[in-house]
Amino acid sequence: MILRSDAAKGYSLSAPATIYVGFLVAAPLAILIAYSFWTQTYVTLDKSLTLKNYREALTDPLVQHLMLRSIWIAGAVTIVTVALAYPIAYFIAMKAHKKTIWLLLITIPFWSSYLLRVFAWKLILGFNGVMNSALLGLGLINEPLSFLLYNEFAVVLTLAHAWAPFAILPIYVSLQKIDPSLLEAATDLGNNAFQRFMRVTLPLTIPGIIAACLIIFIPTVGDYVTPALVGGSDGKMIANLIQVQFGAANNWPLGATLSLMAMLSVGFVAIVFVITGNRLGRRIR
Amino acid sequence: MIEKNIIELSGVEKRYGSFAAASGINLDLKEGEFFSLLGPSGCGKTTVLRMIAGFQDPTQGTVTIDGRNMEGVPANNRPTNMVFQSYAIFPHLNVGNNVAYGLRGRAPKAEIENRVAEALEMVELGGLQLRGANELSGGQRQRVALARALIMRPKVLLLDEPLSALDKKLREQMQFEMRNLQQSLGITFVMVTHDQYEAMTMSDRIGVMFNGRLAQVDTPASLYARPCDEEVASFIGEMNILPASVAGESDNALSVNVAAFGNMQIDRNPNVTNPGKGIIIGIRPEQLEIKSEKPEDYPATVQGKVINVAFYGENIHYHVTVDGHDKPIAVSVPNYFHTVDFNRGDTVWLGLQAASAIDLGRGK
Repeated sequence: MILRSDAAKGYSLSAPATIYVGFLVAAPLAILIAYSFWTQTYVTLDKSLTLKNYREALTDPLVQHLMLRSIWIAGAVTIVTVALAYPIAYFIAMKAHKKTIWLLLITIPFWSSYLLRVFAWKLILGFNGVMNSALLGLGLINEPLSFLLYNEFAVVLTLAHAWAPFAILPIYVSLQKIDPSLLEAATDLGNNAFQRFMRVTLPLTIPGIIAACLIIFIPTVGDYVTPALVGGSDGKMIANLIQVQFGAANNWPLGATLSLMAMLSVGFVAIVFVITGNRLGRRIR
Repeated sequence: MIEKNIIELSGVEKRYGSFAAASGINLDLKEGEFFSLLGPSGCGKTTVLRMIAGFQDPTQGTVTIDGRNMEGVPANNRPTNMVFQSYAIFPHLNVGNNVAYGLRGRAPKAEIENRVAEALEMVELGGLQLRGANELSGGQRQRVALARALIMRPKVLLLDEPLSALDKKLREQMQFEMRNLQQSLGITFVMVTHDQYEAMTMSDRIGVMFNGRLAQVDTPASLYARPCDEEVASFIGEMNILPASVAGESDNALSVNVAAFGNMQIDRNPNVTNPGKGIIIGIRPEQLEIKSEKPEDYPATVQGKVINVAFYGENIHYHVTVDGHDKPIAVSVPNYFHTVDFNRGDTVWLGLQAASAIDLGRGK
């Protein structure tokens, strides 16, 4: 086949990916949207279009509560992870000599399954877990601490650990890209190390920080394994409710509606975040 | 006029393990002069510049700027500013904010704005404050880097290969502009370059460096006329190198027997540090006479054969083989009348005046 133009070449080259994405993203999404306007009684699906699910989802205080909590937990995870990841990325990019080894070390948590890592935290934070035994053994506490597990704190801690590499890598890349002579120029123009960081390094790494935040925030809002295992009743998130609708409650239309609403909320928060982040970055002079 | 030294380097040395990037650097720079550090890449000239700026600390020796010992003074507290080789324009700031960078928080807003406008006017970028850093051409980036450094009113402006990223035409234009700027501001400029023409056209004095050492510090004219050794002679412009033996010497003259050209009486070169009996003589290609007949009034002449003709436009280069010397001798003739007088294979005579034969001391 002779390709007549660059555009045709481009389309044919991207066709496999387009078809793949079409089947695995666009089609399921279309089905999800369709479901959200349908209703279900036990096993019979009523395909007449209705907004009943949306009305239910918007008025149910539980949905609102879980949605807000999901966003707040994901936000906390994002802030904690990025705040801890930045110094590590900075160290590797600016100070470390054997960068490859450090980057390899960072990926070590990924060598074991996500589920296993969550269970490991359960063992560490539990009533009879590693943490409490150690503190008791050292005589620092008289009875096991109960606030460690089965709450929001445990969810934030576990997720922050699980997502750390995803925050470190984009920040590392953006730090790595900074031309060292820019830092020297800032010094030359009278900046001390802190001023230089605030006025050159930080603004130039904002794209990396924003990428890290989105990479962490978007999936954590929808995470349901971690809250299910270490969240207890205080740590349940919107994804747990969605899972129930598709499982035990057998209400797929409501599940689909909740999924779409979660997607829209995440999208909205993410867009607002990206815009404010860039605005703030531009104000640094 | 009493000339004050603005920078004094004494016994400055920079080592990386056993490798000496720079050693034995003693250099006094006068206030208001345009000084160039010239040398091939890797000779340590940038290291010296960075030690003045404070980005590197000397392993030994002291750097004094404006009478103050700079030991322990970090780069951000030195009265120097630098134009980087890559220009280091902050990509996240527009032109105005780039230029204002060093003044933020140190001067009132209105004053900063005035000074930025003034600095941009000075480098002929007036009114471009809002232009983005990524929308600038190479020449404009260079001007922004200059304005950003000069707005700080430094005692010394350091320039690290400032013109190497520009194309030839622009480079020549910037040479004159920078020289004029330096003259009108009266600030000391210290420039690092590997381009001898750049150094010659812009500088009051040049320090030539090889292998971490300063070989010679002099004005462009005396560097050209009286280089201290063969290395400097060949680095600054073109030079024919011929061996010679010294038959007799007085305080300021040498009686030498130059290969191919024979006996002549020449001036002793005061810059030579290693005199001896067997010396080398340097002859600039443009100072040789080339004729088809044996030239009159020349104390030394030799007959030879043209083996190569190169037409440069403003002048013509002939390579001439002569008896008594293996390497062909280069002769450069100005293109006065749009004629090329000799062709490959022609037999010619070369004439040498005593004043054109430079004593370069013993070879290496």
